[in-house]
Amino acid sequence: MLAPAVVVYTVMTVVPVIVALYLSLTDWNGFSSATFVGLENYARLFDDPDTTRAGLVTAIVAVFGAVGMLGLGLVYALQLKERSWSNSFFRTLAYYPHVISALILGFLWSAILGTNGAINATLRDLGIGPVGFLFDENLAVITLVGVIVWAGFGFNVVLFVAGLQTVPRELVEAAQIDGASRRQINRRIVIPMISPVVTVAMVLNLVGLIKVYDIVVSLTDGGPAGSTETIAYLILNRSFAGTDVGFATAQAVGLMVVSAALSVVVTALRNRQDRAAAS
Amino acid sequence: MTLNLSPGAARTAPPAPAKPPTAGRGRPSPIRIALLTLLFAVMTVPVYLLLVNSFKSQQDIQSSPFALPFARVSLEYLEAAIHSPQYNVLRSYGFTLLLVVAVDVLCILFAGPAAYVIARSLKRRTQILLLFFLAGTFIPSAALIVPLIHVLRAIGLGNTVTGLILHDVAMTLPVSIFLFVGFIRTVPRDIDHAAAIDGAGRLRTYWQVIFPLTRPAVITVLILNSIGIWNDFISPQILLSPGSGTYTVTTAIYAGISQYSTDMTKVFPNLLLAVAPVIIFFVYMQRHIISGLTVGALKG
Repeated sequence: MLAPAVVVYTVMTVVPVIVALYLSLTDWNGFSSATFVGLENYARLFDDPDTTRAGLVTAIVAVFGAVGMLGLGLVYALQLKERSWSNSFFRTLAYYPHVISALILGFLWSAILGTNGAINATLRDLGIGPVGFLFDENLAVITLVGVIVWAGFGFNVVLFVAGLQTVPRELVEAAQIDGASRRQINRRIVIPMISPVVTVAMVLNLVGLIKVYDIVVSLTDGGPAGSTETIAYLILNRSFAGTDVGFATAQAVGLMVVSAALSVVVTALRNRQDRAAAS
Repeated sequence: MTLNLSPGAARTAPPAPAKPPTAGRGRPSPIRIALLTLLFAVMTVPVYLLLVNSFKSQQDIQSSPFALPFARVSLEYLEAAIHSPQYNVLRSYGFTLLLVVAVDVLCILFAGPAAYVIARSLKRRTQILLLFFLAGTFIPSAALIVPLIHVLRAIGLGNTVTGLILHDVAMTLPVSIFLFVGFIRTVPRDIDHAAAIDGAGRLRTYWQVIFPLTRPAVITVLILNSIGIWNDFISPQILLSPGSGTYTVTTAIYAGISQYSTDMTKVFPNLLLAVAPVIIFFVYMQRHIISGLTVGALKG
């Protein structure tokens, strides 16, 4: 009964990981025979300017994106936590991009934010611009983070609302009777009580964002001048498209290691949270 | 703290205490009004632009993107996208749906019995197997797919739909098995024993007795996997070369837009065709989808 699952999973996931580990230690170009080069590809990861820049962009996108989704998620979850028809509507409205392919969301926003897009057309009528949302090297990174936050904060809202609905009503009412303001209640009672969910959401956001690819391809295609290339973009569009398979797999292994490390953190946090709930 | 999010739980949850959101406080605060107005604007404007600009000429799209000039609105651009000979999004629905159904069926067929064995076994070895599957959730697709191509070529599945399906199944197995194991463990073992006494083998016990009892978990897994596969871009893009002529919704859009990027009368209608089925599905099934995706993310 175990066999089909184990076989498919092993061939399609475990074997490629082993192959990646092996190829990353060679100079294979995809055709000729591979020569063992030791850790040279890994050393190059830290020297190669494209890789270090993509690493920095990935870190910026992951950290600011995760914090942005978390902050907006919390703000709106506090507004929308009560069960009502209108709150449910607004939660759904915040959530819907989460079910649409990131690739398509990126294309839509690139059509809106481009030089001839809706925003710049409106600014032009006001005598401003054009603003290079996607064509200015620094602004493009900010735009990328903004679109990612737009697409993902609704998921955080739903997570936090589920957490907030477990906060006992009596606790909040007791604080109200003691004369606590709404702000004090939120800061001193509600947010501490949902802090385990906040921690898990933060790591989920980070794990999701360090492999961000689709939205980069469709929103900026890594541009301008490579300023929005992430590690995943580099692996799939530059290194892999070239013939430097050894180096591309070293990048892939690096991404796996970072992703695994973050996932281990989320598992540890979740276990701690389960233990706390059990005690 | 535990989150009660399963679809079944959402349905059977006791009715909320009858307390409107702003009871006792009179009108909503100005901050709330401002925040919700902003939310409404930011979330609806992109969809509004997508809708209205799918029916306008290039000139109208670029000069007045927000306007809806009734006199000049036309269905011709949408029709052109529907009948487009190249990178036809509408035609790619079929293949994408086939992919989704194939992956869903195989995933349930493989993950269900495996999860049953893992959930019922007391052996340490079998428990380690669960960790072995869970490790798969750590691996980003972008990192896995480069070496996977070489593996698929070696076993003769390079650039084939079969290879793509098997890869997608392998990607969905870890979370599916994990969710099934958790759910099966809540089903009393007495039921297994009763089935065994009646002469049912293990496989039959699973499919005829346990599987129907795990319906909420099956629904969660189906939603999670279907949306994931429908929206997936990396796997079909890398595993099916453009020469194969087989496109999913995402790869068709990608191939199309790299061809006609500046022709907005093609971009908007094609994007509209691409999001329409997902939005309709979401509107109909939103409660199941939201709770399914949340459970999948939290537990997966």
